[in-house]
Amino acid sequence: MQELAVQFKHISMEFPGVLANDDVSLDIRRGEVFALVGENGAGKTTLMNILYGINEPTDGEVYIGGKKVEHFSPKNAISLGVGMVHQHFMLVPSFTVAQNIVMSKEPRKLGFLFDNKAAEQKTRELVDNYGLVVDSSAVVQEISVGLQQRVEILKTLYRGADILILDEPTAVLTPQETDELFAVIRRVVKEHGMTVIIITHKLYEVMAISDRVGVMRKGRLIGVADTCDMDEKKLASMMVGRPVLYDRLEKTGVPGEERIKVEDLHVLDNRGLPAVDGLSLSVRAGEVLGIAAIEGNGQSELLEAITGMRPIENGEISICGQSIRGKDPGEIRQLGLAHIPEDRLATGVSRDASVTDNLIVGRHREKAFNRFGFHQRTSTIERYAQQVYDNFDIRGAGLEVNVGSMSGGNMQKVVVAREFSFDTPVLIIAQPTRGVDVGAIEFIHSRIIEKRNAGCAILLCSADLDEVFRLSDRIITMYEGHITGHFKASEISKEEIGYYMTGDRSGEEAVYEK
Amino acid sequence: MKNNPLLKKLNLRYLVSLLISIVLAFIIGAGILALSGFSPLKAYGAMLSGAFDSARHVGDFLEYAMVLCICGLACVLGARVGIFNVGGEGQLLLGAIFACQVGIWLDGFSPWIVIPAAALAAMIVGGFYAFIPGVLKVKVKVNEVITTIMLNTIAAYLCQYLAKGPWKNANKNMVAATEQLNAQYWFGNVIPRSSLSTAIFAAAIIAFIVWYVMQKTSRGFEMRLTGQNPRFARFSGIRTDRLVILCMVISGAMCGLVGMFRVYGAEHLYRDSVSRDYYFEALMVAMIAQYKPVTVIFLSLFFAVLKIGAQGMELIGVPSQIYLIIQTVIIFFMAAESGISASLQASAQKRKAKLAAKARQKGDVQHG
Repeated sequence: MQELAVQFKHISMEFPGVLANDDVSLDIRRGEVFALVGENGAGKTTLMNILYGINEPTDGEVYIGGKKVEHFSPKNAISLGVGMVHQHFMLVPSFTVAQNIVMSKEPRKLGFLFDNKAAEQKTRELVDNYGLVVDSSAVVQEISVGLQQRVEILKTLYRGADILILDEPTAVLTPQETDELFAVIRRVVKEHGMTVIIITHKLYEVMAISDRVGVMRKGRLIGVADTCDMDEKKLASMMVGRPVLYDRLEKTGVPGEERIKVEDLHVLDNRGLPAVDGLSLSVRAGEVLGIAAIEGNGQSELLEAITGMRPIENGEISICGQSIRGKDPGEIRQLGLAHIPEDRLATGVSRDASVTDNLIVGRHREKAFNRFGFHQRTSTIERYAQQVYDNFDIRGAGLEVNVGSMSGGNMQKVVVAREFSFDTPVLIIAQPTRGVDVGAIEFIHSRIIEKRNAGCAILLCSADLDEVFRLSDRIITMYEGHITGHFKASEISKEEIGYYMTGDRSGEEAVYEK
Repeated sequence: MKNNPLLKKLNLRYLVSLLISIVLAFIIGAGILALSGFSPLKAYGAMLSGAFDSARHVGDFLEYAMVLCICGLACVLGARVGIFNVGGEGQLLLGAIFACQVGIWLDGFSPWIVIPAAALAAMIVGGFYAFIPGVLKVKVKVNEVITTIMLNTIAAYLCQYLAKGPWKNANKNMVAATEQLNAQYWFGNVIPRSSLSTAIFAAAIIAFIVWYVMQKTSRGFEMRLTGQNPRFARFSGIRTDRLVILCMVISGAMCGLVGMFRVYGAEHLYRDSVSRDYYFEALMVAMIAQYKPVTVIFLSLFFAVLKIGAQGMELIGVPSQIYLIIQTVIIFFMAAESGISASLQASAQKRKAKLAAKARQKGDVQHG
């Protein structure tokens, strides 16, 4: 039995209204690479934030190197040898590499002057010692993301870390940079006896780098295993696989004419890298096309491009036969599209506006709601809002309260109610039930199928595989901006889908075509 | 009681904290007065009588309230769509000097031509001067606070140059001033010997229109949504970029018009006293009013009384800066109020979560 680097004992972490960690007990051995996987919101980052002292658990104990953590603060965690590299780097862009690395423990001249020479000297020693090559005098904002990450790692080493937490380290890296990072991880583990905990949801990375793997789902630790006993399929089913809760919904009718058409689409992400890379698809009236993909594989950018929220680099999108080129989101809506966005707080509602305001947006310019075309008819608007409110079984403190004060489920119902009330022939639906309770899930699902049966063309994207299976007629899997598989929902299993979601398998197995 | 719509509209919590802030500010002001050897009671008494002792002073504070109110509403208009117009001072000055110069160029024409032309010039110049930061913000994401502040400086120097150079008053004793307007173009005086002119009626109409558009129309509704969550507004089909620029331009036009009011109503020529950072005081009023139009109107009156009253205070030797101290302390407390209540709420929530966890733990022990 190896020595333990970290022990979590019955950790629970409750944020207002959310149980982010639910009785998690986990041992991490010294000198191993431990991968922590799970869907978004499964509680991986929360658990690591506890280890790094950012959060104090509501319940449970943490031991680092056998010592119980009494006081939760990053400062204390650092002194116990824990270092964390966050998903979003915490560097000062205008400082040099050396200045960033020594920050908080700067070498000084005369007791108070910053000693830049010594800082560079120490950085070079670190670089030589660990073989992490970076130019100590380069300015951070001018070096690549991969190198910035290396600076983050060096920073933790400078502070004496021997337990290194990497939160989704490859999310921002190119494949080459990923390979380099893995080489670095192997080196610090092998040559310096470090313990590395890596948070990820890319399964092939788990297989490539880790010694052991722990799977989290909905705040609980589902299982821990030696990586060599696992494969990607098994991991995928552990990660997303849970017994199907519901019966299949009744789907009627046959698909009609083509309503959404995407041809050879190229879209960039926020960093300017290709997110959607030559993708084509088509959705017909009266069918649901589901996109199954792990977060960050271009599906968000695809939906944003279709709804006009993100510019198109290349390719063609048409809604009900009309091209959306050069149109803003409002004009695209005019073509007959409504959209439930993936992030309701950022895009789907105005938190500071009342329920009424949130329900009327989009129709607020209609004649029925305005006297002389500009003066809002408050009572007519309220009547309409009340009708929608009742119709969609929204439960809250009425129409006057701010949407921000509602529960996630009811907030989502507000979004669904508004978008469905537009009665459009095309619906783009992303994460319709993220963070929504079971009852509301059932309700939203049946409304989506109602729309489908009424002849709506629906493009659905969800991180919840069960949901994709339950609602879709056809399913495509996306990986790094490409479609890797195309299936009839009734003719494929979830495990197989999970396999296609984690990489391009077109070379390995025949792809089912419609 | 809790659901009483009138009470809700008044926003009791805001009123209470405003009142507390004002009282605290006066107490702190009194402390400073006492420390500097003045009797606070006497000083505040002088302040009150300074504003209300004569019709002239009442007229003066009403005129100043008008300036604060229109400039404050201009700021609110920007804030509604999420753009912070700090450049009102420059827009006001440019509006003033161009309106004045139009009156001088068109000297001899009927007031029916000259006054609308001057107003139009003021609005165009002010609007254009706000258009620049608006476009920069929307198209290239340049922070409007920085650009408007810079543009203020440029405007101030440009006006000084014009008033000392090409448009200078022929009278050598006037250092930095334009020619005086022909008296036939002056706005009529509402209260004799005060600076209150008929411009206040135009201002009242403008204030009403701004309030109406923001609170009652579908356009105002779009503005509100854009300010609250621009991404959501765009997602919902509102052309947020155009709306932001439009509001900025109108905001600038309003400031320009205030400049014209100052020249045609009170100063009758352009010089430094057209505005002594009046827009910045209006900005503070808008902030204290939390960008609510009706509150801006009332607070404008309140601060105008303080300001004119402070001049009365100077007569008994108390520096009028005490007014600025009181104003900033009110802002300080109003800003601290939201922070304090937020942190109180957060710690209460944390305590609750801890208790809940404890209770769960106990339950587990008992059952388990």
